[in-house]
Amino acid sequence: MIIGTAKESYRADEALLTTTPQRIWMAILMAGLVALPFFFNTYWIYLACLVMINVIAATGLNVLTGFTGLVSLGHAAFMAVGAYAVAWLEKNTGLPLPVNLLAGGLLAAAVGVLVGLPSLRIKGLYLAIATIAASFILHFIFIDWRSVTGGTAGLTLEPGRIFGFQLVEYRHLYWLIMPVTVLMVTGAANLFRNRIGRAFIAIRDRDISAEVLGIPILRYKLLSFGLASFYAGIAGGLWVLFFRVVTPESFPLVTSIFLLAAVIVGGMGTIIGGVIGALFMTMVPELLRYVVDFLSPVIPNASLILSPVRTIVFGALIVGFLVFEPQGLAEIIQRIRRFFRVWPFRT
Amino acid sequence: MSQVSRRSLLQLMGATAMATGVLGGTTLAAFADDSELVIGGSLPLTGVFGFAGVAIEKAMQDYAKIINDQGGIAGRKVRLAYEDTAYKPDTSVAVFNKLTSQNDIHLYYGDSTAFAKTISLELARADRILMGGASFATELNDPVKHPNIFIPGPDYSEMFSILLEHIAREKPGAKVVFVCSDSEFGRDPIEPGAARAKALGLDMGDVIITPPGSVDVSTEVLKLRRARPDYVIFHGYIKAPLPEFMSQAKQLGLETKFMGTFWSMDSSIWDDVGDVADGFMGIMPYRYYYDTEPAPMLDKIREMRGEYQATGYMQGMISAMILLESAKRVLEDGQELTGKNLKAAMNTIKDFDTGGIIGVPFSMAGNSIPVGRVYQYSAAEKKMNPVSDWINVGG
Repeated sequence: MIIGTAKESYRADEALLTTTPQRIWMAILMAGLVALPFFFNTYWIYLACLVMINVIAATGLNVLTGFTGLVSLGHAAFMAVGAYAVAWLEKNTGLPLPVNLLAGGLLAAAVGVLVGLPSLRIKGLYLAIATIAASFILHFIFIDWRSVTGGTAGLTLEPGRIFGFQLVEYRHLYWLIMPVTVLMVTGAANLFRNRIGRAFIAIRDRDISAEVLGIPILRYKLLSFGLASFYAGIAGGLWVLFFRVVTPESFPLVTSIFLLAAVIVGGMGTIIGGVIGALFMTMVPELLRYVVDFLSPVIPNASLILSPVRTIVFGALIVGFLVFEPQGLAEIIQRIRRFFRVWPFRT
Repeated sequence: MSQVSRRSLLQLMGATAMATGVLGGTTLAAFADDSELVIGGSLPLTGVFGFAGVAIEKAMQDYAKIINDQGGIAGRKVRLAYEDTAYKPDTSVAVFNKLTSQNDIHLYYGDSTAFAKTISLELARADRILMGGASFATELNDPVKHPNIFIPGPDYSEMFSILLEHIAREKPGAKVVFVCSDSEFGRDPIEPGAARAKALGLDMGDVIITPPGSVDVSTEVLKLRRARPDYVIFHGYIKAPLPEFMSQAKQLGLETKFMGTFWSMDSSIWDDVGDVADGFMGIMPYRYYYDTEPAPMLDKIREMRGEYQATGYMQGMISAMILLESAKRVLEDGQELTGKNLKAAMNTIKDFDTGGIIGVPFSMAGNSIPVGRVYQYSAAEKKMNPVSDWINVGG
């Protein structure tokens, strides 16, 4: 049982991980991430990479929606900006891959700031509609700026190369995607230990009060849009390096809804919520396949018969979590932590 | 109450996670041996393309049964290993990775252009698999860029060529307008189609682009009224908004003939449209289930399945036929089942008889089968009737 955490220095007070169990679990997670490609086959590595790309994008959206209270349904379009930027730079310049990836993120951030301009005047559903409108404009650009985007056929990439090493297999890409994800999530967690993050939360809780307190609303709202779009741009850049093809249909509106659902299911306004939400939304449909596999010997053509059922079960799980755990999956983690903190006593 | 429910939910989640983990571990070991030939499939059994995926699955199962009843391919039994993708490219790739890590797969069916483009480089790199699929994208008809992929029919540009050749024969110098959806699918054959129309001496009118999923087409119909074309070729749709287009055009007194491409050509989708659909024409690379011309394979299909089978069924049947014919040629030559060998064997297919599903023997020099025929819908009979001979637009 932990009865308290004694902090003897400012450094300890500022630490991200404040207790020994937290540090142990984080060490186990990091060791697991490093060991994963050595113990799992291509399928699981593929899924791990996909989860991590979605984690970056969902974390970005969580910064904007969960922490700053600005609803965006244009997040997929920002991912597309990053993806197109990285694809174009990889195809047309000899710049190193990390530079291209960073440029993709920065371009998406610039577009995000532009799209975020109306957020000073409008919020809630109105802002959501404005971001959808922005994503339609971007979609139009992706189709019609053919010399850059390749039109409807899009851009196809050769495998990326980093420090002279070609990223051909998912196993190779994992070593790019995993560290970037860890870095991005850590960055987001750090953000809310400083002035910027606290300003975001103040704006979310009551923007007028925040302004009275001296927080420049427009600057911080645009900063939030820029940061969220930067995350989306990096996720999009990794996505295109992963799939090696991007077309105007690669990032539809449903991807934005998927990411928003991930943030809501995971837990808005908590970093772990975005991570767990992306993990849940990406992995559960895949794991349900194994239930279908399990039933295959009993039910002939189980894949054919049970595929619609699988989709319904996934939808029902989301509704179930929203009903029984409205604060998101992150709240379950908190409850487990509370349980062990006072164990063997009951909470 | 709420506390109990939450705890139960947590327990259920834990149990599910453990069960799926155990199941995930157990299925990884289930690899095929040399006694079988596995056709893998990323099939769209649900989602917008679910109607096609279900038909394709049935056809591939049926053809596997026909082949297995005859003793298999070079002594190997044929088995289908597939999963639903809901027509999402990232899910299709996940299914591909799952199935290829669980089974020894050399033959594959992919569900979309996006999936084919995404997986093409991996197919070329691994050099193990020959892949057909639901896509007829012109871009895939490039043996250099997509060496392990084939199209089980004409690509969309070749479909336009077949329709335009039919128009040029029926009414030389006719005015043609293309109506396409604003998508990769819809825009695919516009440029080559327009060039082909000019080469055939047709009067190429406007190209009308409609937003994806649009229902109100009154603005586009007014454009048609101004253009007054003899023929309109629709592409990038399955059904909507074609009935609305034709209905409004008829109300405006236009005598335009309307045409579509393969995925609009299943007769069952027009059955509930009624008289508006009467006379609708389009390109069909295969015979219909109810065609009366002599076709032993169609007889066999009708024997196995007593009810109408959709066009997707014929597409799945031809795909399985080409995949297994290629594998048969490789195995009979004593070669290894690699992507290159399978593709080379596929390209040796000359004057191939499909038992009448495709009405003429065909050859596969490249990635496609550039053969098709124009059919016309009869609302009274509720079926498509042939109005042209088989047209081959291959070089």
